[in-house]
Amino acid sequence: MPKIAKLWNKLANPKNIPRLFAVILGLLLIVGFIIPMGLNTDQIYIRPAPQSQMDAGLAIAPYDRGGEVLVSPGVTEAQYPENSKNLGWINSYMTPIAELLKALSPYFGTSICASPGGLIDEILYYTRGFDTILESSILMMAFIIASWLAINFTIDRKEERDIKEDVKRAIASSDRIANEVEESNRKAREKQAKKEFR
Amino acid sequence: MLIEDLGGNILGTIPLGDIVLYLNPLHLFLFVTILLFTALISISRTETQVEAMFGSLDENKVAVGLKEFKQRRFLAIICGIATAGAMITGDLFNFTLFMALIGIVNIGIVSAVKQVDVLNSAYQYGLIAMMCGLPLFGGAAIILAATGTLSLFELASIPANPMMIFGALVMLVGVAGESGIAPFFASKAEMFRTPGSPFILIIHLSSLFIIVRFVEILLTIL
Amino acid sequence: MVASVIPQFVPAFYSSMYTTALYGGLIVAFIGLIGIAMEKRDIQILILTDLVGLAMLIVVAAVGTDLSEALILPGLVVELAEIMAISEILISREMRKVDEGTSFTPMPLKIDMEIMTTAPNFIALILIAYGVFLSGFTGGAVAGGGIVIYVLSRKVRGLPIFVLDGVGAISGISWCLWIIGFIFFFLLPQYWLLSLFLAALGLLLKVASKIGLIGILMREEYGRK
Repeated sequence: MPKIAKLWNKLANPKNIPRLFAVILGLLLIVGFIIPMGLNTDQIYIRPAPQSQMDAGLAIAPYDRGGEVLVSPGVTEAQYPENSKNLGWINSYMTPIAELLKALSPYFGTSICASPGGLIDEILYYTRGFDTILESSILMMAFIIASWLAINFTIDRKEERDIKEDVKRAIASSDRIANEVEESNRKAREKQAKKEFR
Repeated sequence: MLIEDLGGNILGTIPLGDIVLYLNPLHLFLFVTILLFTALISISRTETQVEAMFGSLDENKVAVGLKEFKQRRFLAIICGIATAGAMITGDLFNFTLFMALIGIVNIGIVSAVKQVDVLNSAYQYGLIAMMCGLPLFGGAAIILAATGTLSLFELASIPANPMMIFGALVMLVGVAGESGIAPFFASKAEMFRTPGSPFILIIHLSSLFIIVRFVEILLTIL
Repeated sequence: MVASVIPQFVPAFYSSMYTTALYGGLIVAFIGLIGIAMEKRDIQILILTDLVGLAMLIVVAAVGTDLSEALILPGLVVELAEIMAISEILISREMRKVDEGTSFTPMPLKIDMEIMTTAPNFIALILIAYGVFLSGFTGGAVAGGGIVIYVLSRKVRGLPIFVLDGVGAISGISWCLWIIGFIFFFLLPQYWLLSLFLAALGLLLKVASKIGLIGILMREEYGRK
């Protein structure tokens, strides 16, 4: 019984939780080695074999999915083609600069694909656009949190000092014995906190 | 299991390309409840903790400053909306992204506090949230590799195989860690020890709702 | 034509490599997780969690379709966002423990590189131009890097910095642009080209101004000294 009690106490300490989580997750991943794994060949958004488009000499090599700019749509195998009425048009679209680059050299495939239009943009903005909205919201929230902390605390610490002075004055005006008890209490708690978190 | 068996007949879908949000009575109930709660906290003010001081008749008030209050309210509303979105999403990867958004907003709600203890547990929870990226997205990717789709409608009709079960288990560990259930509760529970009650509560409520929804997803796909 | 561009099923190369890649990812993740379980110092754990995030990218990439390439971006961004927020919390916590005497950038940030004095404007311009061409998230990161280099170089050369208030507002407005573009995709499908540019440029502006914000924050810290 005392062992279980100790275990519960350990579980109540936040410092141990990431470690426990890491161990459990690591063990679960090891289980993955005894489970038969294999890629289902019937996927959506299939891409051609590596290097095959380079060997074929296509100008926007690994990302050529057919279609002509503003003339015919490219090939996009969406999950629900009926939900995306303009399927494939973004896929085949290229900006004028991208077309210029395409004419210049066959080695700019990745850059051209990253400019507006192209296959990745079709997935990121159109067929799975909601994912990208969430993703950019996550980035925005992270920046809000980080910059709020940075601006309000780590950079501007003047307010903090004022608060501390107020607290000092309040403590001084109150009963001296209570003050001492409070102080020693605080010290003891700090000591314990140090023990726990160091 | 078919979707109709679990939450009742589908009332409607919101098709956004490959990501199809769908509503059935269960989802509708969860969705409306969390939105109502979000509306309630968006118009409420924070509590003020009053501590009696030892040896005197004075009391020590721990209040939340206005700047901090605004920041927290904003993040709490975002957390409520994200939870509501996770209730009705019909795509596995979309669900994991909602989960990640809830996780980071939860950290944000408590990040503005002054207590070192609370900051410490927020940091520990943040570490778990970062590790959870692997089981959440990795688990979804394993299910994608095993079945070739991420849509819950398609996954519901595909019979489970060992690889899918493994992917779902990995995802389960991720959701458990990120929402702080069973053995991983401590870091999340310690984050609550700070004033600002209604905003702190949405952390708790969102994990509760997420767990209910994820169990439903598990039953659907397996 | 169509059949020649996209194969009907996943090419044999990808399906034969899948198990290897997945196992590789699992092993990397396992090493990282065991490291986290054994490590004592907080900052080391934070760095190790990045290794776990890397393993996640391997597992996602192992699928080897265009979809998995598109899914890598959200995964990467989530890891990036979380490590930024959490490291800021770590800094904040440590500062509250120590109370004062710590700097916003804990290490002495002395940028004494030749590149900062020779042609920084040109490099920043090239980066921003390339970022605008790329558009989207990648372009935003590149262009934001250009802005950071510009701000840094002006600081290193001792010149006054062009103060741009409301960089955060640009980011918020461009986020709305992107949302409008996304709604147009489904409500007004005939304007897909407009929606595409709204989305691409909205995301570009958003990410670039966010990363530019890092440069602005640095400036404030410099100004304080």
